Amino acid sequence: MPLSVRLLRSINKVLGDRTLKDLRDDLQFADAGHGFDAFGMQPDFVAFASLLNSPLYKHYFRVSSHGAEHIPSKGAAILAANHSGSLPFDAMMLWNDALRNSHPTRVPRPVADYFVSSLPFIGTLFARSGVVSGSRGNVRNLLENGELLMLFPEGTPGIGKPYKDRYKLQTWRKGHCELAIRHSAQVVPVGIVGPEEQMPQIGRIPLEFLGTGVPYIPVTATPLPMPVHYHIYYGEPLPFHEDYSPDDADDPELVQEAADRVRAEVEKLLHKGLSEREGVFR
Amino acid sequence: MKAVLVTGARSPLGLRLVRSLVADMRISHVLAVDQSPSDGSYATEHPGRVTYLSVDLRRTRKVRELIFGPARDLNVEVVVHLSEHTDGFGRGQSVHAQNVESLRSMLSLCDGHPTIRRLVVKSHAVVYKVSMDLPVKVSEDHPLNLSPSAPQYVRDRVEADLTACARMGLIDCEIVVLRCAEALAPGYGSQLYDYLAGPIVLQNMGFDPMVNVAHPADLVRGIALATHGSGEGVFNLPGHDTLPLSRAAWLFGKTILPVPGVFLQPLYAARHLLTGSKFAYGNARNQMHLGLVLDGSRARRELGYVPTHPIDWPARQPPARETAQG
Repeated sequence: MPLSVRLLRSINKVLGDRTLKDLRDDLQFADAGHGFDAFGMQPDFVAFASLLNSPLYKHYFRVSSHGAEHIPSKGAAILAANHSGSLPFDAMMLWNDALRNSHPTRVPRPVADYFVSSLPFIGTLFARSGVVSGSRGNVRNLLENGELLMLFPEGTPGIGKPYKDRYKLQTWRKGHCELAIRHSAQVVPVGIVGPEEQMPQIGRIPLEFLGTGVPYIPVTATPLPMPVHYHIYYGEPLPFHEDYSPDDADDPELVQEAADRVRAEVEKLLHKGLSEREGVFR
Repeated sequence: MKAVLVTGARSPLGLRLVRSLVADMRISHVLAVDQSPSDGSYATEHPGRVTYLSVDLRRTRKVRELIFGPARDLNVEVVVHLSEHTDGFGRGQSVHAQNVESLRSMLSLCDGHPTIRRLVVKSHAVVYKVSMDLPVKVSEDHPLNLSPSAPQYVRDRVEADLTACARMGLIDCEIVVLRCAEALAPGYGSQLYDYLAGPIVLQNMGFDPMVNVAHPADLVRGIALATHGSGEGVFNLPGHDTLPLSRAAWLFGKTILPVPGVFLQPLYAARHLLTGSKFAYGNARNQMHLGLVLDGSRARRELGYVPTHPIDWPARQPPARETAQG
């Protein structure tokens, strides 16, 4: 066993809580041999990433999880959530929350922008933790394997929205619904309350000219995210596999209708979360 | 019972394939062809089952004489084209003639041939384009690397692959293109093997892509299945082992030294000059950066090909749990 894996196991053993200790053994994943899946995910790294994430999850953002029982226990499914906060802490918290609260343990596979896989160190760490680059083929492959995907239909415009637009969903892409219908996957709407206020964005430095794929660096009112209280609401899965046939994925109107349903459910969850919370930091 | 013509028969893959075909009772005779004048041990090992011919496939006339001479006389039904130049630094017209023109001649001559009904062409995973906006796990409809700046090693393989694909359905002969994973063994033309052959493996700092590697026995089995199959098409032949590049180097017993990516090409070019290494970093730059894993679903469905032979890693054996197939 390579030193890096031995080291990770030791760290996880010493520092990890019970959930993390059970995680590695319980984890269901498509082992392509050598303990990795074809996209590079490895259970020890998943446990380690969750361990690294835990101080933020438990103590800084104090994530409250509501309705995690709606995460399907098996089969292809998509967690579709709102996206915000200048930096993708919402993705990290949702990933950790779904990982810890799904039964049996499932690793949500975050679908990231293309450029993420081309970032040194970060791209590799993310791949080991289950992140995949958002190409159509990758998503199709994962759904065919019956995996749990996690994506943000607002994309980069969502995370980069100005403070005045908080909790206003940006253009809602529909590609996830087309793939969900085609592969008979359930879509679980997710509303994340909190990150929209964590790092008010006041400007951005464009980086597209560098050709690295990174669109910009956000200029924020605070250098670090504020310790807002995260509330993650999972809605009931939308049974697209019952409402549509796989051939309906070729009908743009039906796909748009499905995407509008997901968007409406996410909006409902956001309104519920905003009405139930007692304050940005509580 | 059918007779089979195998080109590149003196290469390590060719030798394995000929042995496998000779052992197959559905094959009446094997016509083994290569440039080497020596037939090795074919005549003594398989008397009466194998005929060895030394033919320079770079010359169209020689190919014609082969196809309409011994191949017709032996009633060859299937041609398996393995011949290629394997050196990663190979350049020039002669290399191109071996990699591409020999196949082009073969395709023309098989059209309307009195006995040849099927042509199996060995292609490579290196023909696929690797980019951050494309899937890591590639199926046969994945874009090919058509970059004009790609090295000749890649351009020749893409051209040969496309030349075969372009003739599918247009000539009176079934064409099967097999895009094979890298065979991690010496002499198979694997750039990954040549990469791992050095005492120290220089890796692109911050990147650890997934790679898929094949045992030669699996490739031989895939080619044999295609030889007996019917219909035509393009098929990926993945290997049994899918793992990160760093793990492959570790299992190979190599020391890994992370180096910023910009230095890798000049460092490996220098290694070539100093040691004669056959690995050219430019041939596999994107695979070494972002990774590529072949999706073998079509070959499994239509040819019945499933890779079953794990690599015999020379240095270390992975723990039992980690070798299990998911």
